[in-house]
Amino acid sequence: MTPLVHATTPGGFLLVLATILPVCAVLAILASGPRSAARIALATFAAGLAVAIAIATELISSGKALSYVVGAWQPPLGIALRADGLSGAMLVMTALVVVAVGLFAHIQHGLQTDAGGGRAQTTFWVMLLALWSALNAVFVGEDLFNLYVALELLTFAAVPLVCLDGRAETVTAALRYLLFALIGSLLYLLGAGLIYGQYGTLDLLALAQLARQDPALAVALALMIVGLLAKAALFPLHLWLPPAHAGAPAPASAVLSALVIKAPVFLILRLVLDVAPPQAAAIAGQMLAVLGAASILFCSVMALRQARLKLMIAYSTVAQIGYLFIVFPLAAGSADLPPWGTIAWTGGALQLVSHALAKAAMFLAAGVIAEAFGHDRIADLGGFGRVLPISAAAFGLAGLSLMGIPPSGGFVAKCLLLTAAVIQGNPWLAATILAGGVLAGAYVFRVIDKALAVPTVPIVARRAVPRRLECAALALAIAAVLIGFVPLRPFGFLQIGRDGLNLAWAP
Amino acid sequence: MSSAGLLLAAALFFPLVLAICCLSARFRARVLAVVVIAPLPALAAAVLVPEGRFAFFPAPFRLTLVLDQPGAILLGGAALLWSAAGAYAASLMARDPAAPRFAIWWLLTLTGSLGLFIVGDVVNFYLLFTLASLAAYGLIVHEQSASAHRAGVIYVGLALLGEAFLLIALVMLSAMHPDANPQIRSVVAELPASPMRDGTLALFIIGFALKMGLVPLHVWLPLAHPAAPTPASAVLSGVVVKAGVIGLIRFLPFEAGAPLWGSVLIGVGLVTAYSGVIVGITQPRAKTVLAYSTMSQMGLLAVLLGVGLDTADPAVTNLTAYYAVHHMLVKGALFLGVGILATTGGRRLRLALLLTAVLALSLGGMPLTSGALAKLATKPLFGYGWLAGAMTLAGAGSTALMLHFLLILRRDTAGNTAGSPALWQLLPWLVVAAAAFLIPWSLYPAVSGETVSGLLHPEALWKVTWPMLLGAVAMLFVHRLPQRLGAIPEGDIIVLAQAAQPVARRFSDRIGGIDAHFRRWPVAGFVLIALAILLGGVLMLQA
Repeated sequence: MTPLVHATTPGGFLLVLATILPVCAVLAILASGPRSAARIALATFAAGLAVAIAIATELISSGKALSYVVGAWQPPLGIALRADGLSGAMLVMTALVVVAVGLFAHIQHGLQTDAGGGRAQTTFWVMLLALWSALNAVFVGEDLFNLYVALELLTFAAVPLVCLDGRAETVTAALRYLLFALIGSLLYLLGAGLIYGQYGTLDLLALAQLARQDPALAVALALMIVGLLAKAALFPLHLWLPPAHAGAPAPASAVLSALVIKAPVFLILRLVLDVAPPQAAAIAGQMLAVLGAASILFCSVMALRQARLKLMIAYSTVAQIGYLFIVFPLAAGSADLPPWGTIAWTGGALQLVSHALAKAAMFLAAGVIAEAFGHDRIADLGGFGRVLPISAAAFGLAGLSLMGIPPSGGFVAKCLLLTAAVIQGNPWLAATILAGGVLAGAYVFRVIDKALAVPTVPIVARRAVPRRLECAALALAIAAVLIGFVPLRPFGFLQIGRDGLNLAWAP
Repeated sequence: MSSAGLLLAAALFFPLVLAICCLSARFRARVLAVVVIAPLPALAAAVLVPEGRFAFFPAPFRLTLVLDQPGAILLGGAALLWSAAGAYAASLMARDPAAPRFAIWWLLTLTGSLGLFIVGDVVNFYLLFTLASLAAYGLIVHEQSASAHRAGVIYVGLALLGEAFLLIALVMLSAMHPDANPQIRSVVAELPASPMRDGTLALFIIGFALKMGLVPLHVWLPLAHPAAPTPASAVLSGVVVKAGVIGLIRFLPFEAGAPLWGSVLIGVGLVTAYSGVIVGITQPRAKTVLAYSTMSQMGLLAVLLGVGLDTADPAVTNLTAYYAVHHMLVKGALFLGVGILATTGGRRLRLALLLTAVLALSLGGMPLTSGALAKLATKPLFGYGWLAGAMTLAGAGSTALMLHFLLILRRDTAGNTAGSPALWQLLPWLVVAAAAFLIPWSLYPAVSGETVSGLLHPEALWKVTWPMLLGAVAMLFVHRLPQRLGAIPEGDIIVLAQAAQPVARRFSDRIGGIDAHFRRWPVAGFVLIALAILLGGVLMLQA
């Protein structure tokens, strides 16, 4: 067996561009001062979106993973970047959400007339761009330590976004988030150190070939996975998420809920599928699925209990993340069918993408509602659909995807996961998926019901909200619905570049 | 695509396009005027398209439309009722500022409910079923009263539950099929050989029973149907409940049969038929009585389908569709009639009451009406055993319930001042009433395989008359019972569910308490470490 090595492919430089472009923009903002921050950020959005689309096109046209070996130094000495189909999908999804959120924030900043908002705005742009760079680095990273750096950058960019407004409660929430995320990072770093001590490499592709059943790897995997779970806020490690995501300004909540927690989930996926030996992967998968199912049921009920709209959406995030973890046992491959060839794998990836779009749309719609009425108490929102029809429609469409009602990305995802559960004869997971859908229907319906109500005293907006602001949420919600038109079968794009990693699964 | 295919596509997409056009404010302001034409392509398709024609749309829609005999019968009747009720609604709501909103929900529900009769593939069946179910919420809560809102919430809750049952049933049905979105016909043909056959059938029956309002999943029906505005009640009770009927027709394996599930359907259907009558006869409101009658009639349809499943008789689908179209038109006309009678007085009132009486008694099987035809056409299915007797008794019960309905109407209209209904409300009512007579007569030879002249035979007349007399006599006794009216609240056993509310509240509070516990630092830290040790330990034991 010839060992697989990284080799720079044509178009590999795009991966470098994806990671450093936002960083360059941050430097440019710091150099040129706050007045041109918005302009630089908007230009970077256009460029970054173009790069993400270029990577996806390159993946489709070549049918192979994109690689870039930095400085032509092979791992373990050098660092490699690699994007397969799943990474490509993540990159495009991230770019779409960041651009929509960025446009929303730009319009919203234009509405703020009071002085003193300028600093918060510049901070927002810097943090958003840094966060984008970190996310892209996670999605294309191949080196465990490099990924650690990307995760830390992600955390340090995300935490200030939580407390942009500087209120005491959001600062508390941000500190909570920071501390718990740092504990997670420590566990991850400990695991990475153990792996380096044992195998002498941190390169994922190399580890996929070297990894074998041994106690050091077992401990390392346990530490890394649990550390990442803390960052992904899976139940019962979700203590920091509801206050942080509900307290942040709307555009920040949208990126935090839609994108930031997806990075650790993505890494867990890579660790379990690429690094862990098959038996270990199966056991870790079972345990993650139990936590995922508990997360779906428990946090859906919690979402139903919330009196405030943003807290409801935040709890819904924890519930929806659960679906990504029940994928593990369902996507367990066999000798002739690798995990990424299964429908559950496609279902999980679709759930990841459609949840990101839908949840960003929901948080933006909630932001418009809070902007217009000055509060987000669900009970006092009766008739808001009259005042903000576009936001109500965006919330409703995004809700369809969360509930898993056709046509929407969420429906296709849940349908594929259900099919996988039925084929494998796993009634508990099937029941969990269905119960999660019904509970999601209940909490989304609570809001829709308020939107359609005609209260005796009509609700009036505290301030007018321009249509443009509402359209960003609607565009994301429509994108979530359009994903519902992908075919109900294993999706070829997600398998690009996975063949080389088959080794860990070979019998 | 052939002209037949185009017409089928128009039947589905025309109302949908009208609903989408409502995005334009100018169109929205006048949309009420077009609801009457929205179902016309469907009506044309039901009449003009030969049976067995289909239309196929390739990816990404992957939609198949097929017209078979049961589908055509139901599609034609439903399109006619939707159109007439639409005209009625346009006249009734001409001055209602919320009318455009009502019209949008109306068009969406219409698209779903008519599409269900012609859709041929699994995924789009689910899509249209969902559309018809959820959009009906907008019709139910339109009047925004507290009771309408309560009915709407209960309706949506149960509808979502039904969706979940249906989804898992559809997934189990097509999980093993190589095509991701198979044709309903081909997967149902494979169902009898499936290892998950019984589970799939049970879930289908639960999901569609919820939509049809079979006991004990009927609680939403007597609340929701009367809460809607009159024309919406007519289509909800006439057409939308038939979504469950077409579902059972499409997804139960009548070719191969399934005696166990046939017996279950017969049992549940009979219980529903009788309890609908018993509870309905205690109701003081005319529209609620009609809703309970709908429930009772759906029970009879379930019995029909159960017999077909029990004896592996595919012909039962046509007969069920025939019975269903009779009920659809009669019930639609009765609901519209309640609205007409409320605005009519003087000499015209007597004429209107007379027509309503004929329509109502048709449900009990009055000779020469559609009810008698439906009963005679389906009679051979039941043989001569206890089931035939039970069905006859149910017919007597229907007569008693309808007499109760007529007595309530007479009481309600006694104080009406002389007046006449608006022409555009009266006309749709007369059209539906006429269709309720003509359509079953014209279809009778094709469906039952017998001649119309046989219907006029004295023996045939007596067969349907004596149960009516029995029902009338029963009503004479029931009428004298003291404290009958209002003895059972609307929605009957929903009261039990409300008694369970404190338990649900406590459960939810408990979850909240556990969440607060987990979100404390010491607990979260402990859980984090425990999880790491647990996962590490398990992985090491494997290594």
